[in-house]
Amino acid sequence: METLFGIVVDGVAYGMILFIISVGLSVTLGLMRVVNLAHGAFAMVAGYVASYAAQGLGLPYAVGLVAAILFTVLATLPLEKLLYRRIYGSANELAQVLLTIGLTFVIVAGINYLFGPTLKRIPLPDALLGTVAIGPKSIPVHRAFVIAMGAATVLGLWWLLERTDFGIKLRAAVDDPNMAAALGIRTERLYTATFALGTGLAALGGVLGAELLPLEPYYAIRYIVLFLAVVAVGGAGNILGSAAAALALGIVDTAGKYLIPSFGEFFFYAALILILFRWPHGFFQGRAA
Amino acid sequence: MSGTFRKALLGTAFLCALAVDGGAGSAWADTIKVGVIAPFSGPFATVGQTFKQAIEVYQAQHGKTVAGNTVEFVYKDLDQANPAQSKALAQELVVKEKVGYLAGFFFTPDALAVAPLIDEANIPCVIFNAATSAITEKSPRYVRTSFTLWQNTVPLAEHVAKQGIRKVATAVSDYGPGIDGETAFKQTFEKSGGKVVDSIRMPLKSTDFAPFMQRIKDSGAEAIYAFLPAGPTTLGFARAFSDTGLKAAGIKFFGPGDITQEPDLPVLGDAAVGITTTFNYSQAHESDLNRQFLAKHKELFGSSDIVTFTSVGAYDGAHVIYRMVEATGGKSDGAKAVEAVKGMAWESPRGPVRIDPESRHVTQTIYLRVTERKDGKLQNTEVAGFPDQPDYGFKAGK
Amino acid sequence: MSGRHTGAVVIDPSPPVAAHEPRFRRALGGAAVPLLAAAGLAAFWLFPNDLGLMTRIAATALYVLSLDLVLGFGGIATLGHAAMFGTGAYAAGIAAVHLVSDPLVLLAVGGLAGGLVALVTGALILHARGLTLLMLTIAVVQIVQEVVNKARDLTGGSDGLSGIEPSPLFGLFRFDMFGRTSYLFALAVLLVGFLVARRIVRSPFGLACRGVKEDPLRVAALGGSPRRYLVTLYAVAGVFAGVAGALTAVTSGIVGLDSVSFSWSAEALVMLVLGGAGRLVGAVIGTVAFMTIHHVMAAIDPFHWMLFIGLFLMGTVLFLPGGIASLADRLIKGNRA
Repeated sequence: METLFGIVVDGVAYGMILFIISVGLSVTLGLMRVVNLAHGAFAMVAGYVASYAAQGLGLPYAVGLVAAILFTVLATLPLEKLLYRRIYGSANELAQVLLTIGLTFVIVAGINYLFGPTLKRIPLPDALLGTVAIGPKSIPVHRAFVIAMGAATVLGLWWLLERTDFGIKLRAAVDDPNMAAALGIRTERLYTATFALGTGLAALGGVLGAELLPLEPYYAIRYIVLFLAVVAVGGAGNILGSAAAALALGIVDTAGKYLIPSFGEFFFYAALILILFRWPHGFFQGRAA
Repeated sequence: MSGTFRKALLGTAFLCALAVDGGAGSAWADTIKVGVIAPFSGPFATVGQTFKQAIEVYQAQHGKTVAGNTVEFVYKDLDQANPAQSKALAQELVVKEKVGYLAGFFFTPDALAVAPLIDEANIPCVIFNAATSAITEKSPRYVRTSFTLWQNTVPLAEHVAKQGIRKVATAVSDYGPGIDGETAFKQTFEKSGGKVVDSIRMPLKSTDFAPFMQRIKDSGAEAIYAFLPAGPTTLGFARAFSDTGLKAAGIKFFGPGDITQEPDLPVLGDAAVGITTTFNYSQAHESDLNRQFLAKHKELFGSSDIVTFTSVGAYDGAHVIYRMVEATGGKSDGAKAVEAVKGMAWESPRGPVRIDPESRHVTQTIYLRVTERKDGKLQNTEVAGFPDQPDYGFKAGK
Repeated sequence: MSGRHTGAVVIDPSPPVAAHEPRFRRALGGAAVPLLAAAGLAAFWLFPNDLGLMTRIAATALYVLSLDLVLGFGGIATLGHAAMFGTGAYAAGIAAVHLVSDPLVLLAVGGLAGGLVALVTGALILHARGLTLLMLTIAVVQIVQEVVNKARDLTGGSDGLSGIEPSPLFGLFRFDMFGRTSYLFALAVLLVGFLVARRIVRSPFGLACRGVKEDPLRVAALGGSPRRYLVTLYAVAGVFAGVAGALTAVTSGIVGLDSVSFSWSAEALVMLVLGGAGRLVGAVIGTVAFMTIHHVMAAIDPFHWMLFIGLFLMGTVLFLPGGIASLADRLIKGNRA
């Protein structure tokens, strides 16, 4: 019983981290129909900015986090104008894949040039060090913090997409861009805003997840399968779905690794296949956003 | 003008003397090329960088000529384990670049891939890293200057047993070297009266190590033996070990020194403090030769912080190649070159080393090290040495 | 399009320019094989010292060609094509170590293994589309890789499967270190593969597959089973990929875990889109371009080749959307206008 509880706690903690680093991709992929393989690269850029802010400039963790998000969003906005705008639309998926892989390569090379190939870290503030007890099980404080942030992100995004004017317009534009434009919705600005939202979330995930996915130039490529898995299982663009998917995969993965460690990899992908069989379009099928 | 002429004359005379000394075949000075295959881009780019820098340090200290032959290193990038590509690159080096030596190799399959080629072309291959014991059995032209998992693990297991520790859990990455380490530890430790209470093989792509930590905790082990490839996974493992409270619970952490390699130490931070490892080289090794090596490295590249086991592997590899060039007088003869370095012993920045004639692998002192903070910087402090350790895995049967 | 309602990704790589130029495409297609053969042989004489790389290019081109059958002509988006390539390579390698050494038999073994894996996994996963399908193919390749890694006794695990020593081709030509036999053999297999692939693409079956890609509903309405067509196509392409894997095993003498990896699958996709999906020449051109550029860049600057290759990819998307192969169409069209 205690073991089971331990697995669930560890699994939820892992799942929340998965959620927070994948949800940005779910936004761009689901709401903008862009297969943004550079998602990991954006997250990595933010991680490096936060790392530099903390270690190079000596700024506090929270300031570094905000600076990283702002920097990443501002730095990628020109990319949206120059590159992404040319490849919007579902007829362009292959072009999207190629362009964003190319962009990823360029970012990887750039980071490698600027920071070198060694691992980098974002030092945690004292408040996030140590462990916290949840019943008989103790988990690192940092993970508890990520769980809280993840929950806040789910609520915030749900509110933004379901309850605000922005969300309504966005969903209208996704369902029928021409009709939305005819109704006077300025789709271009809407897309820019959504893109910024996606990269902002990527940045948040990059910084918060750095304890689990350490920063190095190949970060951008190494974890892309993980992000895609969460988005596919959750259903692209579906925030609650992504959260449920991340938690499910996190728990399955943790249980597999605990019970039969040497077949850990099988569990993750077998679960993926089974879930996609049962729900080919992700959890909460047919309910966009 | 006349000065130049005199120098040239002197040089010629010197070369002639060497040529006579070196025996047949080196009647004129020649450029001898050494092809180095290693990761220079990609996730393991640091390895290629340490190889290249160490070779440049060696050449800066010992000159670029030996026995009248200029030794030139040619680098080929192989960013990840990809044996087919390794073979193609080696082929290009041999056929197109006309190299007389192959060297480098970080991953085992890449090194194994060139075995038929070096036999057919009769050229020596000096391995700077790839650590699976079986490699040198596959061709008589392999010489290795690194270490094997067996070599590092056997003295460690004996040491752990001597500490009075009886119950150990092993946690290794689920691939060749990890399994080598697990086997070596288990055999040696149980022979010394200890018991391995849990053998965990972790998938290579693991990112979250919390479940393994829970398992270690549940196994009731007093200590762990862990091996993961250097890089992000090691970091994740060491951090999880301290984050989940295993470290605070007094469980001891042992492993081969890859896991606390110098380039990763600043990132590992305090999580690394107290980890006990065995390895062939520490940057903190106390010897004049090592201090000179580090000083030269710093002079050439501005910092010697990333100097680590791959550096000395390449440095000593370059030394072996120089001796081979000397012995063959610059003529390309792999069998003779390898024969010449069998049994060769010298002092390296890591300590005394020797090429074992049978396994063609380096016999060396394996040091017991504890990771600690000294003058604000983390280092692997050597606390004891086990001299003359051979590759226990050679022909261990598999 | 089903992607509309579900948020799935539908990949549709129909070359926009070429559609209006059927006659030129035909003419180009007819000349393709002699041209490829001539270029391949010319390279043999021109670059006698680069045969190792060129052998790899030829074998890889066959692998990318197989992906083109699946993606370009069947519209199946996959990031797991290396599952078939790697299975073929390992099957041939294991056969070579334990059973036979004739290179042609080894290719057949590889093709059979690749086709079998494709048939089984295709039947399982081809009901899905878009991102779901993409993820399923990734899961398949990861699981196959784990199986190979676990079966260490048979495959050598992460150390790779070495000791593959094929006997001389036709009992006459040895696979030596200069790589002449390897290259000419690989080139010949590629050309034969290309001819067969063209036959398939132009056959009624191939046309039906294209029909499925463009409008599955209509095919179903006409009484065909879209899924059956796709599974068959997938299996056929699996044979090609398996042969390509076996070819790599035979010519390099070793197989590693990288040959069943996600990244090798992704690389194939990049090469295909670069060259131009939906036309067989595109696969070959893309492979040659990508691997040559990679090789040259890595030789010039091993530390930063990724920057160049990244810019090259982006440039292709922005300025040459139909891939490199569409360049010819553009030139022809430009001349006539």
